[in-house]
Amino acid sequence: MPDKDNLNPLIHQRVTPRTRLKTTNELDNDVRDPFDQREIFDLIRDINDPEHPLTLEDLRVVTEKDITVNDEEGSITVLFTPTIPHCSMATLIGLAIRVRLLRALPPRFKVEVEIAPGSHNSEKAVNKQLADKERVAAALENQHLLNVVNQCLTIKSNNYSPAA
Amino acid sequence: MASHFSGALQLTDLNDFITPSQECIKPVQIKKAPPSKGRSKIEITEDGSYLSVDANSGKSTKLQKAEITLNDCLACSGCITSAETVLVAMQSHEKFYEVLQENNSTSANQKKVIVVSVSPQARASIAVKQAINAKNAALALSIFFKRLGASFVLDTTFTRELGLIKSAEEFMERYKNKEKMPKTLPMLTSSCPGWICYAEKTHGKLVIPHISTVKSPQQITGTLVKELLSKHYGKTPSQIYHVAIMPCYDKKLEASRQDFYNDVYATGDVDLVLTAGEVQVMLENESTLLAHLLNEKDSVNFEVVQELKPTYLSNETLLNHSGGGSGGYLDYVYRSAAKELFGVTVDKIIYKTMRNNKDFREVILKDEEGKSLLHFAAAYGFRSIQNLVQKMKRGKCPYHFVEVMACPSGCLNGGGQIKEDDADREKQKHILAMVEKVYNEIPTTAPGENEDVKRELDNLKDDSERTERLLQTQYHAVETDETLSLNVKW
Amino acid sequence: MTPTLECIETIQGHNDRVWDVKWSPNGMLLASCGTDKTIRIWGKEGNKWVCKSILQDGHQRTIRKLGWSPCGNMLASASFDATVCVWDKRSGEFESSATLEGHENEAKAAVWSQSGTYLATCSRDKSVWIWSVDEDGDFECAGVLSVHSQDVKDISWHPFEDLLASASYDNTVKLFKEDDGDWISFATLTGHSSTVWSVAWSKDGSRLVTGSDDKTIKIWRRFDPGNMEGVHTSGEDPTWKCVCTLSGYHSRPIYAVSWCHNTEMIAAASGDDSVSIFQEDLSAGDRAEPVFNLICRVRHAHEQDVNAVTWNPSVAGLLATCSDDGTIKIWKMTGE
Repeated sequence: MPDKDNLNPLIHQRVTPRTRLKTTNELDNDVRDPFDQREIFDLIRDINDPEHPLTLEDLRVVTEKDITVNDEEGSITVLFTPTIPHCSMATLIGLAIRVRLLRALPPRFKVEVEIAPGSHNSEKAVNKQLADKERVAAALENQHLLNVVNQCLTIKSNNYSPAA
Repeated sequence: MASHFSGALQLTDLNDFITPSQECIKPVQIKKAPPSKGRSKIEITEDGSYLSVDANSGKSTKLQKAEITLNDCLACSGCITSAETVLVAMQSHEKFYEVLQENNSTSANQKKVIVVSVSPQARASIAVKQAINAKNAALALSIFFKRLGASFVLDTTFTRELGLIKSAEEFMERYKNKEKMPKTLPMLTSSCPGWICYAEKTHGKLVIPHISTVKSPQQITGTLVKELLSKHYGKTPSQIYHVAIMPCYDKKLEASRQDFYNDVYATGDVDLVLTAGEVQVMLENESTLLAHLLNEKDSVNFEVVQELKPTYLSNETLLNHSGGGSGGYLDYVYRSAAKELFGVTVDKIIYKTMRNNKDFREVILKDEEGKSLLHFAAAYGFRSIQNLVQKMKRGKCPYHFVEVMACPSGCLNGGGQIKEDDADREKQKHILAMVEKVYNEIPTTAPGENEDVKRELDNLKDDSERTERLLQTQYHAVETDETLSLNVKW
Repeated sequence: MTPTLECIETIQGHNDRVWDVKWSPNGMLLASCGTDKTIRIWGKEGNKWVCKSILQDGHQRTIRKLGWSPCGNMLASASFDATVCVWDKRSGEFESSATLEGHENEAKAAVWSQSGTYLATCSRDKSVWIWSVDEDGDFECAGVLSVHSQDVKDISWHPFEDLLASASYDNTVKLFKEDDGDWISFATLTGHSSTVWSVAWSKDGSRLVTGSDDKTIKIWRRFDPGNMEGVHTSGEDPTWKCVCTLSGYHSRPIYAVSWCHNTEMIAAASGDDSVSIFQEDLSAGDRAEPVFNLICRVRHAHEQDVNAVTWNPSVAGLLATCSDDGTIKIWKMTGE
């Protein structure tokens, strides 16, 4: 295996609590329950970093505030921040986020996964590739790549242990 | 930067847009510093290097840049972009100047012996650009490199002749044993490094058994130079610095192959390859015209080392072979095989162009009943290579021998030849025609007629170990193992 | 009466995303392909479009695009498995008759020239290949064109000359022709600010329409040397220039464009689930600055991204689309 790009990443405290109170509407099965920022964050916070035994939340690659949801229009934008500006894993991380959302959300949603502006050397190139549905579709037919993405998406039990 | 590699190589470039440092899948060695106690962050400086800034002390340390050697690139099935970037740094005329400068300022016993060998195709390209004839170009180039500090300037046509003769021998061997040893015919030529690299990366198992084991003229010269001169001067091979002037950028890759590297002395048979285009840049940088150099003949020392003498590049003893600007492999092997296997003396080889493709030509030797005895082809350019490989895949390849070259029109049109900026197709064709004309100014001789070549072959006759070392090599299919990497290109 | 686009049939059959749909040259059959690695051939029985045959086992991965030969007897399929399959129905049924190998990775399109002499293919490996058929009936490579700097998304042959247009992830369109036995690129069309997904020729071959990730549709025109408009040309080659940009109509990438050779209308399919139809206003504008108006728009043409749109070559106003939602739809323009 190649050496890690970032040998000594900064680990952040998890800020968004795990539990939250449900509103009356959310508990009512008859009311259409729109997706919000927090739900999207819950879907992607536990994605594993490809290189470290840490989650994207731990590394603050994804945060709740960098998620935009417009349930009515069916559009979701996720901005992610690679730990270092030359991170070669950026496309892979973006792909993992994308795949997670494609699998979990109803197909009416149009999902955009982009690098937070200014946080990566090849920001434009990575964004363009992640936005290319044909490239994403082909990538997911590459068994090896799919395995790597699936590893990122396999939730490890220790993710749920309280953060130090 | 536009790629200089031949089309065949560029197509195997799987890299899409990620810059070499990012997408390279080779493990990158970074010195592990003890982890700092406090937190650190990484900043990018204006020149693009990374600084690690300690949050507590504010002290910054420059992070080491990952370096990838060309050998890493060649052993990898991935991109060629990284290889190109590395090549630009390692095999450039700037590098040559560096070596020359270092050599001029070092003590006599530390000095390296600098040898430049010039291919006839590159020489023809330079001659056309400099508007002088082939013979004068040979002499003037010799003077030019000697004035720069080279002890010897050689012509690779001599070693090409050794290669041609060995190729014919190998073909006869394969032909005679074709029933016992399947997968040996067609024999495919090996002198084009673009073709070899493509074959190894893309069609390894299918194609490699068919590739001639004979080294290219560049690499035969390399072995010969290092062997003879280190013996003559009592120096190690690493103290001989060998530069080859070639019509082709891919030759830089060839020189860097592990097969041509001496681990004991940590040196290659050819240390540096420059293209005709790069030599032209050197001439321009020094405001030198080859025509003017001819007057300087007496100012340089034409030192003689007897063992190397037949290979000297001068205006008196130039060799040439019939069969076109890519070395004449088909021509010579065809004539030899017709003669030796069927007793037929071939007067003139008449090619048949295949299907509107001037770069795919074939020639058939038939018996009296019209039955095909020998079926040879020349396949130039990536398109022809594709059709050849597909024919082999389908088991419908009728040939006994194929001269394969990655560039359309062959080596005289190599990627390293001097290009005119903004030349349209007509102009390019015109330049190529001129280069062909100059190349053919040198009268051809049949391989084996030259006395010096005969002597060299006699020396080799009973020394199979040396013959193999000097004239032959091997090929390696590149295995694609994506599982080694997280950075799969998609 | 304002023109409307009416969906006359929704065809279900593919189990997954449908990537492409193409009418046969006589307009009687419809071929579709997608992620389920099958090609389906649809024909009309009575008033219904029914599946006539399913072609499978030709590809290991997604089938991205299809191309009919001008005689209608052959169908080529380009797949993410890097190969192109040629299917032949001269025996009555479609049978796989050749597999073209050579691309390094995903093949994105395969189209026959109008003369039937050439088949062109393109791939993520940045190359466009031209194939022809040799004496033995084998496909032989007639040219490998590696002039794009990125993924080549789409290719399209001129309606009657052996000229090819290619659209790429490098944001450009390039044009190719044969010159003295070699295929060469003779023009590069720049103007789109992102991937060009689709390219199609006008009926007279003097114009091109492109659809892009930049959410615009562009019309390009050929200006020959000595043209009346005074557009600069060099040598004997014509200059290609963008003469019209249609923007603001779609909120997501335009994945496909089709220029009807009967009605001259342009159809566009987008990732915003909609389909739009444009028509040239011949009373306004001129050759150098034509005016195209949106005459019809179906906002929710499909549940998800619309991947392809194509006009029927013989029935004016008949349109087929396909989508990520797994369906194919047949549409009819009414009220023109």
